Amino acid sequence: MSLALVGFVLRRVGLNLRQLFWTYVLTCGIVAMTLFVFGTFILVEINLEHLLKGWGKQVQLNAYLDKNLDPGALQDLLKRVETLPEVERVRHISQEQAWRDFQTALGAQSGLLEGLPRDVLPASFEISLKSAQRDGSVVEKLAERLRKEKAITIVEYPQEWVERLGLIVLAVEWAKWIFGGALLLATFFIVGSTVKLAMLARKDEVEIMQLVGASEELIQAPFVIEGMIQGVVGGMIAVTLLWLAYLSLRNEMPSLGGFLAPLGQLQFLDLNRIALLLTVGWLLGAAASVISLRRFLKTWNTSRGER
Amino acid sequence: MIQLFHVSKTYPPSYRALTDINLEIKPGELVFIAGPSGAGKSTLLKLLFREEEPSEGQILIDGKNVTRLSSHQVARFRRKIGLVFQAVKLLPYLTVLDNVALAAEVIGTSKKASRAKAYQLLGELGLKERHDSKPLSLSGGEQQQVAIARALVNDPMLVLADEPTGNLDADVAAETMRLLFEIRDKGATIVVATHDLNLINRYGSRVILLERGALADDLKLASCRESRK
Repeated sequence: MSLALVGFVLRRVGLNLRQLFWTYVLTCGIVAMTLFVFGTFILVEINLEHLLKGWGKQVQLNAYLDKNLDPGALQDLLKRVETLPEVERVRHISQEQAWRDFQTALGAQSGLLEGLPRDVLPASFEISLKSAQRDGSVVEKLAERLRKEKAITIVEYPQEWVERLGLIVLAVEWAKWIFGGALLLATFFIVGSTVKLAMLARKDEVEIMQLVGASEELIQAPFVIEGMIQGVVGGMIAVTLLWLAYLSLRNEMPSLGGFLAPLGQLQFLDLNRIALLLTVGWLLGAAASVISLRRFLKTWNTSRGER
Repeated sequence: MIQLFHVSKTYPPSYRALTDINLEIKPGELVFIAGPSGAGKSTLLKLLFREEEPSEGQILIDGKNVTRLSSHQVARFRRKIGLVFQAVKLLPYLTVLDNVALAAEVIGTSKKASRAKAYQLLGELGLKERHDSKPLSLSGGEQQQVAIARALVNDPMLVLADEPTGNLDADVAAETMRLLFEIRDKGATIVVATHDLNLINRYGSRVILLERGALADDLKLASCRESRK
């Protein structure tokens, strides 16, 4: 395409964007909402994956103790656990310590705990394993052995959660493709309809262009570019909204402790995923325009031929 | 320039608009296609600028068989043709100058060159002062002249005009015909479809008569007058 034709196409795009400005604003908004939902799923997914990765690095068991355990029995139990061959170190967290940790974790919102008895949280052992004993089956056997202790009420270890969370991540991924996919499909038709509307608004111009010898590509190019612009602008709005939602969540959330500690801070989309969202928007706009235009022109040319 | 061999056109399900048309139009001729409404004049023009394909037969224009062309080839082929319709088909949101220049721009002429050529043509048609007006502010005759300027902006070798004077008063119709003759004198071939016998009588030329889709006669105006006596 020559420079003169590129200039012509860009002028047509500018003219059309002015003529159907509010229609395009609406379509960009719909694309943005779809990509926002899609991006939210990605955001949840990457944060869960990040958590999973953190848990994978931690080989630690938490054994929660009976509230009525007397100090002598506690010392006996501590010794027994410390002498187990797999165990490297045991840290005893008293009820008082657990309460303080929880208060710290809640930060500014620690006022929520007012009125609650200070012994509401159970005491526990944080058990670290020797590096040679970090195999999944060893951890599982150790957990079983600890559960047999009468003074230990609950035993939790990350691998168990890793499996559960693994399932949740999988569910989120499926939901992303099912809900996100359905929304993308609906948006595909909406963008296609907007392009069709633009085509109808300019059908006289298209007819004249056809009659004076404009190529099909030249006739379609402005509409396809308009579709792409809607997709990319929608994608940019979606990323901005996601960023604002992320900032607001990150500021509102208390610092995380316990099993959620590996998450550290909430993760935002990396550059690759931002590029993915914009590319999805761009492709959505381009594909919807091309398919909608081809169908429209085919029907239109046929109906003109039949007159 | 134009050769038709056994050309027929049938619209679904079975309306036969043209039947077995054979004719030849030489370069530089100005030919009237005449006949009552429904005779097939517009269909014949549509076949010539490849708006439609013939159901049977072959059409050669400038030595090239245009019967079966891809959409790319149709677009290229139309760049050599100027089209004038009774319904002028001007874009109301563009100025007169931009309406004319559009036809040049879409085939790759720069905006500057397109506008310069359009301005020159509007000047020749006496519409220089109106170049910045919108078409709806022009009279019917002026609009038709703008449409003619648009048809000429790419220096076509063939001009096809469908009832070009249909909406015009006698003076403007005369001006329009004068223009078409001028273009013919510059070497273009002109085909005018009309049912206006006054127009044909006044601007003597070759007349191809169609009746119910068939070629009824192919006459010079003198013999046409005689046959009507």
